[in-house]
Amino acid sequence: MERLILRKLQADGEEMILNFGPQHPSTHGVINFMVETDGEVIRKAIPDVGYLHRSLEKIGEQVGYPGYMPFTDRIDYVAAMFPNEGYAIAVERLLKLEVPPRAQWLRAISCELCRIASHLISVGTMAMDIGAFTPMLHGVRERETVNDLMEALCGSRLTYNYHRIGGVAFDLPEGWRDRTLRFLDHFDRFLVEFDRLISFNEVFVKRLAGVAIIPAPLAVDYGLSGPNLRGSGVDFDLRRDMPYAAYPHFRFQIPVGKGFVGTVGDAFDRFYVRCLEMAESSKIVRQALESLPDGEYMAKVPRRIKPEPGEAMSRVESARGEMAYYVVSDGTEKAARVRVRTGSFTAMGIVDAISPGLMVADLVALIASLDVVAPEIDR
Amino acid sequence: MNQPAALPGAPGAPTSPAARRRARAVLGLTLAVGVGLPGLLFGLIVALTPLRTVVPAGWSEGQVFLLHAVGLAVLAVVLVTFGAVVSGITVWWEMRVFARMSSRVGYNRVGAGGFLQWVADAVKLLLKEDLVPADADAVLFRAAPYFVIVGFALTFVVLPFGESLVAADLNVGVLYVLSVTALVVVGILIAGWSSNSKWSLFGGMRSAAQVISYEIPAGLAAMVPVLMAGTLSMQDMIRAQGAWPWEWNVFTNPFALVAFVVFFIAQLAEGNRTPFDLPEAESELVAGYLSEYSSFRFAIYFLVEFGNLWVMSAIAVTLFLGGWQVPFVGPEVYAAARGAPGSIPGAGWWGLQVLSMVVFVVKTLAVLNLIVWIRWTLPRIRVDQMMSLCWKYLVPFAFACFVGTLFWQLLVTAAPWAARATGYALTAGFLVTAFFFLRLTLRNVSAAGDRVDLTNW
Amino acid sequence: MAQNVRAYAAAVGTTVRSIWHGMSVTLSHLLRRPVTVQYPDRTPLPVRDTLPARYRGILEVDPAICTGCQACERACPINCIAITLEKDPANPKQRLVTQFDIDEAKCMYCGLCVEPCPTGSIQHTREFEASSADLRTLTFRWAEKPFPVYKVAKDATYYPRAPLGSILRPMLEARRWDARGPEFLPPEPPKVTPDAPPRAPGAAGAAAPSRAAAGKEHKP
Repeated sequence: MERLILRKLQADGEEMILNFGPQHPSTHGVINFMVETDGEVIRKAIPDVGYLHRSLEKIGEQVGYPGYMPFTDRIDYVAAMFPNEGYAIAVERLLKLEVPPRAQWLRAISCELCRIASHLISVGTMAMDIGAFTPMLHGVRERETVNDLMEALCGSRLTYNYHRIGGVAFDLPEGWRDRTLRFLDHFDRFLVEFDRLISFNEVFVKRLAGVAIIPAPLAVDYGLSGPNLRGSGVDFDLRRDMPYAAYPHFRFQIPVGKGFVGTVGDAFDRFYVRCLEMAESSKIVRQALESLPDGEYMAKVPRRIKPEPGEAMSRVESARGEMAYYVVSDGTEKAARVRVRTGSFTAMGIVDAISPGLMVADLVALIASLDVVAPEIDR
Repeated sequence: MNQPAALPGAPGAPTSPAARRRARAVLGLTLAVGVGLPGLLFGLIVALTPLRTVVPAGWSEGQVFLLHAVGLAVLAVVLVTFGAVVSGITVWWEMRVFARMSSRVGYNRVGAGGFLQWVADAVKLLLKEDLVPADADAVLFRAAPYFVIVGFALTFVVLPFGESLVAADLNVGVLYVLSVTALVVVGILIAGWSSNSKWSLFGGMRSAAQVISYEIPAGLAAMVPVLMAGTLSMQDMIRAQGAWPWEWNVFTNPFALVAFVVFFIAQLAEGNRTPFDLPEAESELVAGYLSEYSSFRFAIYFLVEFGNLWVMSAIAVTLFLGGWQVPFVGPEVYAAARGAPGSIPGAGWWGLQVLSMVVFVVKTLAVLNLIVWIRWTLPRIRVDQMMSLCWKYLVPFAFACFVGTLFWQLLVTAAPWAARATGYALTAGFLVTAFFFLRLTLRNVSAAGDRVDLTNW
Repeated sequence: MAQNVRAYAAAVGTTVRSIWHGMSVTLSHLLRRPVTVQYPDRTPLPVRDTLPARYRGILEVDPAICTGCQACERACPINCIAITLEKDPANPKQRLVTQFDIDEAKCMYCGLCVEPCPTGSIQHTREFEASSADLRTLTFRWAEKPFPVYKVAKDATYYPRAPLGSILRPMLEARRWDARGPEFLPPEPPKVTPDAPPRAPGAAGAAAPSRAAAGKEHKP
């Protein structure tokens, strides 16, 4: 690829090739972009992924079904609950297991808190990439509280390994519910403050409004999902449209990009959809904590998980879009195939199409607004 | 590609006689630029400034010249050291403020409140290897920091600190400041070009475009107090203002208020401060023109960047905010305390000098804090927006203020009460604004369910 | 024209207003208390003691109630637990655990080994401060002295486990961060000799290395 670009360059010699990454402050991990620029204006940016490939799908075929759960944490370590949940649901479908309602509710609570934590990082780093450092640290501060809650719930702050095939690992600890409600009260106020601090700051708005516009048809064509898709104005959310777990029992809005300050589908829409989603997640957690049913939090699962030969697929709405697991069983204790589809990977595909004409600073905004997490791209 | 046999500065490059010759040439040129340039400028300043206030009886002309040369050399060391120390302390203070703004503690390990952190950082940087990237233009790469620090240090020549505390009260003070601060951009441009890195090049180019564009609104806005005072000398401009806020340039003339805002923004841009830190935009250009620098050369850039905060603030205070003027102490008080010309002044005069310096430093620190505060609040603007802000907003405003001040001066000459009335009105307006702002700030605390708590500062 | 002027003024106005709000927010944070936990020395309590009960820190095994069932070894997805069982030469009916090594450097603290343990012998503690200059010292050898497996009484509802962390903490406190680890990994399980003098349970790294390594270690 590089050679192709370079050969073309030698022909006219007007452009410059910029190796944007893999070690660059705003690629959010190790991603490389081959950027062909004409001055500050980008002719083309080609993402070059794979620096963080850790064979996580292959590992899924090497360790047993329950043993793969901690590895799923590492697929998306910024929001580790979603890979947990997706994998658990896929294997439950293989086993034809019924998950008790309390476990479903606990999954929803943990996932929505995790969504808040993940979006806080996303909007925070977005502000940081635009040059404002303080909002990022405010986001991290709130995320710390979520991490504390998660630590009390499952013992870990980052790689939760909370979900299990057939339920969840732990019930709510004592006093956790009140702590969470207290945090949510604080968090709703934080969102207002955050909007005042950065979201509607004119400099910030001017940097994002009308920048890197992804029209809805293009977003669908490129298979964008999650907040990136909704930022383009497409009203699609797996939690509502293909419900799973406890989500049919909650009432919540799906925020979509409306061109809040500029055009539908611009970087600001993707940013602000995440801000609104955090408020919705907060509502979901409140409802779930209120209506939390009693009972078991773990289904009766055979000691040795050995599903019938077959295949199962699960789709969950992760913080970074649709996360799909496809698990094939050959009747042994190890899966024959585990395939993970992640939102970040599909989001990388569109950089190529959107980047021409952007400036170098806009590329940073585009990457940040797509909210990619490098390990999730490469797995 | 055909690589040259020995890259100057490349580690492990064979030490052929040619390479050694080249290394010697690099060293010689570095010394020539590093010592020669400041030396030349120093000599010029000594020759041009008639510091003839204290002339011991019976000394010949040559002896007096020597005395002044030595005196100025001492002064130069003092001022450059002051610049370095202020820049270090500014780093510490800025990090403390920023930490608090982001709910952190900040420096707190080295010294009380982490105060000595900047010393530790500087020592660490001194101990690092002075790297020159392969294929970089070694001579220019090494020389660039000198341009930057010379441009920075030279501004201290005319920066006033007190009623008589100024190295040289040049009669072209403002023009001098505007021209020597432009020297910094030469260094940045050289750094960006010579680093042989695309990020550095971007940074250098952005810096050149930015600083040169913003010279225009800065220059135009600086002309407003010049028009009001009728002089270009920094000291005389302060003397033309009063001590009370309603006697400052910024409040006695509504155009000067706008000009102050324009000047302040333009200074932010010239000092590469957020929201105009495009040349070193971390999230875009890694570190811009600084990317390839290490060790003490990096430290010099860092020193200049933070020392520039003081320079920017001091210039703004001088031009618009009444400088070192102390309430109730007019020129006649200084003159009375000074005693006969030619003699060593008494303690009362020195006390007044210190008092005026305190006033000046307090004002400067207030403006400096404003710059720090803006940096940690605002995001960075884009290159094209930087340009459009300059040409579509700042330049027209600055020009309007310039023209407006021309007419304002006509008005004030005819009716001197207009300036006083405007002074009172604008000061009152400022106080009301400040009140509402502080009320909003306190409401922010309670709106977030928090409370005012100043522990663990 | 008028529209342009209005847009121009509006641009200036919104900029000033938004900066007004943003700066008041940042200023208000100067008046609030920072949230920083000043680990390690400026916290009211040691951080270890403020962690929640479910915290997944370094694994601890209580040999007194270990049944030697190897469920944890099987559950571990990355095989960082190694258990060897042998018959006691003195009492053929009694089985001994002669090796129970947990490589904490490899462990990913997932907690899967804790769940199948029938007696709760293996548990995550709240200890997390075990940084070391040598990776090999992070192999904790819980069967330094071979121990007999625990026989679970019928209908047992309670297992006399030592308080969580009470075994691990002395081990951690005894070790030096720059202690040298054993020469080879995995170390050979010690030979079962009933009359061998019992060695004090110390840190795996400090007690286990070969004589040469141990000699070097004690040099000042």
